[in-house]
Amino acid sequence: MLFKSVVDWLCNPPILFTLIFILFFAAFLLRKLRWLWSPRAALIAFALGAAFVAYGLTDPNFRLIVTKPDNVPIVAMLFLVGFFSWLSMYLALKNDERMGKSLPPEEKLESEIKILVWPDLVYTEFLCMILWGVLLIVWSIYLKAPIEEPANPAKTPNPSKAPWYFLGLQEMLVYYDPWIAGVLLPGLIIIGLMALPYIDPNKKGNGYYTFAERKWEILTFQFGFLVLWVMMIITGTFFRGPNQNFFGPFEKWDVHKLVPLSNINLSEVIWVQVFNTGLPQNWFLREIFGILLVLAYFVLTPLLLAKTWFKPFFEKMGMARYQILVFLLLCMVSLPIKMYLRWLFNMHYVVAIPEYFFNI
Amino acid sequence: MPDAPKTEPVVLPASPGAAAGGEVSRRGFLSWIAIAWVSFTGAMTLISVSTLRFFFPNVLFEPPQTFKAGFPSEYAPGVDNRFKESRGVFMVRDDKEIYALSTVCTHLGCTPNWLDAEGKFKCPCHGSGFYITGINFEGPAPRPLERFRIVLAEDGQILVDKTKVYRQEKGQWQDPEAFIPV
Amino acid sequence: MATPPKKSWFDNLRESQVWNSIFRHGPPDNTRNRSLAVLTNVFLHLHPVKVRKSGLRLKYTWCAGGTTFFLFLVETITGLLLMFYYRPTAEYAFVDILDLRSQVPLGVMREIHRWGAHAMVIAVWLHMLRVFMTGSYKPPREFNWNVGVLLLVLTLLLSFTGYLLPWDQLAMWAVTVGSNMARATPFLGNEGPGAALLKVGDIGLVHAGDDARFALLAGRFVGSAALLRFYVLHCVGIPLVAAVLMAVHFWRVRKDGGISGPL
Repeated sequence: MLFKSVVDWLCNPPILFTLIFILFFAAFLLRKLRWLWSPRAALIAFALGAAFVAYGLTDPNFRLIVTKPDNVPIVAMLFLVGFFSWLSMYLALKNDERMGKSLPPEEKLESEIKILVWPDLVYTEFLCMILWGVLLIVWSIYLKAPIEEPANPAKTPNPSKAPWYFLGLQEMLVYYDPWIAGVLLPGLIIIGLMALPYIDPNKKGNGYYTFAERKWEILTFQFGFLVLWVMMIITGTFFRGPNQNFFGPFEKWDVHKLVPLSNINLSEVIWVQVFNTGLPQNWFLREIFGILLVLAYFVLTPLLLAKTWFKPFFEKMGMARYQILVFLLLCMVSLPIKMYLRWLFNMHYVVAIPEYFFNI
Repeated sequence: MPDAPKTEPVVLPASPGAAAGGEVSRRGFLSWIAIAWVSFTGAMTLISVSTLRFFFPNVLFEPPQTFKAGFPSEYAPGVDNRFKESRGVFMVRDDKEIYALSTVCTHLGCTPNWLDAEGKFKCPCHGSGFYITGINFEGPAPRPLERFRIVLAEDGQILVDKTKVYRQEKGQWQDPEAFIPV
Repeated sequence: MATPPKKSWFDNLRESQVWNSIFRHGPPDNTRNRSLAVLTNVFLHLHPVKVRKSGLRLKYTWCAGGTTFFLFLVETITGLLLMFYYRPTAEYAFVDILDLRSQVPLGVMREIHRWGAHAMVIAVWLHMLRVFMTGSYKPPREFNWNVGVLLLVLTLLLSFTGYLLPWDQLAMWAVTVGSNMARATPFLGNEGPGAALLKVGDIGLVHAGDDARFALLAGRFVGSAALLRFYVLHCVGIPLVAAVLMAVHFWRVRKDGGISGPL
């Protein structure tokens, strides 16, 4: 099957993520093409997605993964997140057009009108509860919750995966060590979300959908949420099989699939391949280039950016806010950077100090 | 503008810094406040630390960390899985020594399996591979498997002590208690 | 002489002493009584009496926050029911989960609980997306966004602690992999960077028997003590904290000016 092998090839993380990065920015930056965000385009995309899933269900391997009871909500999430991301953009672009004609956003037309909570809101909530209740009961009757064999500390199943909502983090473990992927980055995600209202200098776009007035905020947030969180979950759920190897959606999960792993550290590249001297004994000397590189990334980049692209932000935000914002941004962007270093150069660690569990 | 009503000075019980006449000077009052706040903060810190300590039990219902592993003569060359499940230790014998390898993968703590045909430990979680020595050579594991303290007890049996680990990347595998020469 | 219209039984009920002692206002067919319906009811009083019409539009709110709260209530009720049949010990846990399906009437309680949990995680993410896209975290709502972030984290923690309770291979190894990340906590985990620096003389202060992961699991690996600890956190600890934060969250929604709208 040509189609299946093409899809399998496209789902390879390097290809998939490169495509997603391009598609993501194209979709947002080409918003002038109105049909791209029209209900018709959304319907076509939805139909294509549904058709793909329906077609995929005819394939035994695809069916095996997608119909795992715990994975059903993820397929639903994919469509839900897609739909609501589209809806928010659609409403935002509609408002942008109105504001382009100096009209107030749509929400403004009704925001001054006050309505009684009883009956309007209470009944809406009531209906919402009934719908969800029915949905849950039907879903629970038709789909049994998973239960496997009893816990056995001596037998590790292959693959062993975290719960699905943490698979984005587990996917980061492919590129980063546990102390970064499991502790530092999740912590920074939480801190970053909490800091968001305080480091966002933009006062516009409060209480209505808009894209034109909040380009950078929306691009950054959606890049983090859609690409680095939801897409990573999709990858970790559907494309990671035994031994955490990559498997396309139509590929059989073969335990014995051999993937040549030839990852090297930056220090090895420099000392062995460039200088031909072999690794120095002293860890600090051995890793000095990696350490300098990481320091430069976190110290020099903010300064450079403040002088160039981020100049308007820097002037508007002040030093403290700007530094926090750029640090968080650099941490976020470091993930795609590390991914490409791995894919293009087989880079394992930029800094590798296993003596102190310090690997970046 | 009528005058503001005269307020009588508040009379508090005498305090360490009380001025004469029973009125409390501002400084004296402050010192009381300071003492109160410092003791309150201290008490709160103590309570928080105690509560945190509560989460670390004194007794564990886990297998003891030291165990006797039979006589050296019982081990054939190669990897022995007899204590893998009960104690979390691979007993390995090669032509020179016997050593006790940890069964905890250095990546995320799954249990690697010894694949005799391929001559390597392979972790099923994320595909880390280790040589029979415990040295990592493939996959995401950042460092070799740890070895445990291993000595001969007085009755000639092997005694494995999991409380003391020896790590190759720190050059500790040459330590006399990291292996038993045979 | 015209006979007065015959009163229906419902009218009689409405005039009874019992009814009037419970409902302190007339039928909600005028503004005053509708306001009182919300004001005098403990469950409805977290609403204001009036809201912006724009904030009522489903396309504006997606009802994502309300859905999340409803699912939390579903989880509370079904979870409470499950507690009647489930014993959190390594010996019984797995069997009790099997029995929930075969030996207990209406054997879908566990399913409702599990799928409700998945739905709640998705709903809370969509709620965050909506609040972000409408800029509703901007002044004066910064603090409430923070409370919301904490609630999101607690939702994930609730799910994660509940994941261990079936005590099957899926649960045990998911939690093993998840909790092993705690080993790598800088300074506080026995395999975290900097932990080796914390030592008195030659004795390391941070080792497998006293680090962050140990506090989480009450042991060096996922065993019976970890099951009990996760059970208590899942059923009592985290829900209590979440309930308090939810109260704050809803309160602040009102105090910060109701559902957001353009100024």
